[in-house]
Amino acid sequence: MITASLPVRQVSLWRSVVKLFRLRLLLFYMNFKRAKTRRKVGYVVLGIVILAALGGIFALSWGALALLRSPSLAQYFDPIPLLRSVPVLILTSAFVGLVFTSFGVLLQALYLANDMDFLLSAPVPMRAVFITKLVQAILPNFSLILLFGLPVLYGLGLSAGYPLAYFILVPVIFLAVALSAAGLSSLLVMGIVRIFPARRVAEVLAFLGAIFSFLCSQSGQLSNRMNFSETQVANAAQSLTQLDSPWNPLAWAGHGLIDLSEGRWLLGLGGILLSLGLASGIFYLALSVAERLYYTGWARIQIGTRRRKAVRQPAAVVQPGRKAAPLAWLTRQIPAPVRGLVVKDWLVLRRDLRNMSQLITPLIFGLIYSVFLFRGNERGLSGSREIPGQFGMVLSNLLVYANVGISLFVGWTLQSRLALMGFSQEGKSYWLLKTSPLKPWRLLLAKYSIAYLPTLIIGWLFLWIITIVRQGSLETMLFGMGVVALSTAGAVGLNLAFGVAGANFKWEDARQMMRGTTSCLAAIASMAYLFISLAAFFGPPILVELLGGPAILGQIAGLVVGGLIGLLCAIIPLRVIYPRVEKIGEE
Amino acid sequence: MEYQSIPLIEAQHLVKRYGDKVAVNDVSFTVYSGEIFGFLGPNGAGKTTTIRMIVGLLQPTSGGVRVAGFDVQSQPIQAKTATGYAPDEPNLYAKLSARELLRFVGELYDLDRQQVNRRIEELLRLFDLSEAGDDLIDSYSHGMQQKTALAAALLHDPRILVLDEPTVGLDPKSARLIKDILRQMAARGSAIFLSTHILEIAERMCDRIGIIHQGRLVAVGTMEELRALGKGQASLEDIFLQITGGTEYAEITEVLK
Repeated sequence: MITASLPVRQVSLWRSVVKLFRLRLLLFYMNFKRAKTRRKVGYVVLGIVILAALGGIFALSWGALALLRSPSLAQYFDPIPLLRSVPVLILTSAFVGLVFTSFGVLLQALYLANDMDFLLSAPVPMRAVFITKLVQAILPNFSLILLFGLPVLYGLGLSAGYPLAYFILVPVIFLAVALSAAGLSSLLVMGIVRIFPARRVAEVLAFLGAIFSFLCSQSGQLSNRMNFSETQVANAAQSLTQLDSPWNPLAWAGHGLIDLSEGRWLLGLGGILLSLGLASGIFYLALSVAERLYYTGWARIQIGTRRRKAVRQPAAVVQPGRKAAPLAWLTRQIPAPVRGLVVKDWLVLRRDLRNMSQLITPLIFGLIYSVFLFRGNERGLSGSREIPGQFGMVLSNLLVYANVGISLFVGWTLQSRLALMGFSQEGKSYWLLKTSPLKPWRLLLAKYSIAYLPTLIIGWLFLWIITIVRQGSLETMLFGMGVVALSTAGAVGLNLAFGVAGANFKWEDARQMMRGTTSCLAAIASMAYLFISLAAFFGPPILVELLGGPAILGQIAGLVVGGLIGLLCAIIPLRVIYPRVEKIGEE
Repeated sequence: MEYQSIPLIEAQHLVKRYGDKVAVNDVSFTVYSGEIFGFLGPNGAGKTTTIRMIVGLLQPTSGGVRVAGFDVQSQPIQAKTATGYAPDEPNLYAKLSARELLRFVGELYDLDRQQVNRRIEELLRLFDLSEAGDDLIDSYSHGMQQKTALAAALLHDPRILVLDEPTVGLDPKSARLIKDILRQMAARGSAIFLSTHILEIAERMCDRIGIIHQGRLVAVGTMEELRALGKGQASLEDIFLQITGGTEYAEITEVLK
């Protein structure tokens, strides 16, 4: 045995921090080195774009803030209070933004990453591990905030001719704010994980994040349609300036920077030192409490989710002589593997919040826009009273068909997610299907049903509701139901074929299920199909109407032409992709 | 054993290449009915690749596998109906409970529903999962997930059972249970193909052992036949190390003493 022990060295905190950072850098470098050339070029281009953005924001802020200080503008309003509140607003936004955005990253880094046990069992001080994790967690968001905040504050300094000390102190204060925000965020993580399992928290966070980012992405469109008044906008801006209050410690730092730069040394230094001291105190306190909580383990109670036991219902037994319900009879006619797959996918989609967010966002999207379309149509109708004769009739018919369009649109967003991701969502569990005696056509049929049936139900439901609310005719509703059923059939076939072609089972994050190229191609093909399909379904009825023929004739013609296109698109892409279904999942 | 004339797994000149790298190189063997065949080899030798080709998860570059008389590539449905498989990493649907998963597997194999329900309860009881049967799989430990995967492999009472490291992560009671199940299945005429790193399991349980090294099957036979190959080495560990070139490690450990 080796008994001559190795010399025990005193391990310093900062040396360990440097070591751990070096490890992170090495991992980053190796990732970059092993990336494909296309990705490397992408990184370089991204870097250049970021630098250009930095420069642009800086130039814009400099110009805008210099303009605010111009004497010609000063005669209309006093810009000083606004200029004084700029650093406060930026620092407060950075702090609040970092507390929330670091939460998810810290949750991942402290509880869900697999390296924590390895790092804590290594001979490095625990505090070094925490410091590295905290900095690692805030770094991406901190960089993003710096990207926007730093050029504005530097622009402010240059436009006002502040001394060099201002430009040195700005990043120092940013760093202090970021570290204290990360510290608080880590405590928040520990507290929440004490109550809820970490994985569940991550799922809920991903769900909320997806909904939030979706709403943000649509905010421009929504605000355009909501017609905010000038007073509402002014009130919102006013509420922002309320952050500049003497009770806000971040205001001490913001005002301190300006006071110091404008020669009020004592006041400025006091404000800055006070806020720096407070930030350091928060960081130190959070660090030591978080360490203790983590080490004592009371925060590590549950990593996974544990669903409470449900009372198990005995399997329904059909009594001899008793007639089974028609639905049960119908489900028995479906092949068992197809039935099993549909039930399994329904359970998995319903229970996994990451999937739910991807399903709910298109529905919200559909609902919001259908309300807007609906309102827009009503305005259009009321404004079209003066349009005479034939055109008025065609327009009103077009608006009748708009109901069908809305229903199709709502279902459309849902089917594209369900069909395109149908195969990829199996993930690493695909081996279960691959090693079972499941015929490829049954697998395709199951995946088709999973995408088609909910879309059809939702599309029809919308159509019924809109027809009832707008008192549409039964004839148009029946035509609409046909359009929704047949058009969706083609769209599902098309998207499912792309889903097979781009199937990816090696994802960890649900957002990476689909390869970018396939999603892009699928979106282009779907859009082209949508235009062709709409033209085929609605063209004949409008044409017949224009020629003065009976509406029913045009609708039947539309259903025949559009239906044929829909069915061809449902069958041909799947027929083409069929040989590949047998091979997917094989490397 | 009276079954030992029926070949249930026949690997013929199996080759699997990944670019220039040959993961499995001209591997041929036969596993007969009623036999437990142990598949040994160092890490990265090609065990899992071979197993994945047997169960139809990987397409061989050349050569082929017949399972229960059916070609895995051209008659996959028939071959897969006869096979049960449990991988080394379970990777099950995390958002299903064990009961739901087993019911789903029953439907994939198109089994009678009432029979499946009965079998599910038997298997859950056998693997000590009855209590946790309605909990979601993502709340299970690795061992519990491994047992669920084994239950799924056994659900349709397969004639051929292919197991990749079946005892990894299992407690001694469960490991013993697996051994007993495998012996019973072999006695009933099933063919068991298992890969393991635990040489004691292979030595005690397997009727024949195959050793794969750098993609080549370097030895196949009963313990006696392997002993004859191993130039007088008595234990499987010594034979294994001699065949796969691990004897130099003994010298290193001597230095460390």
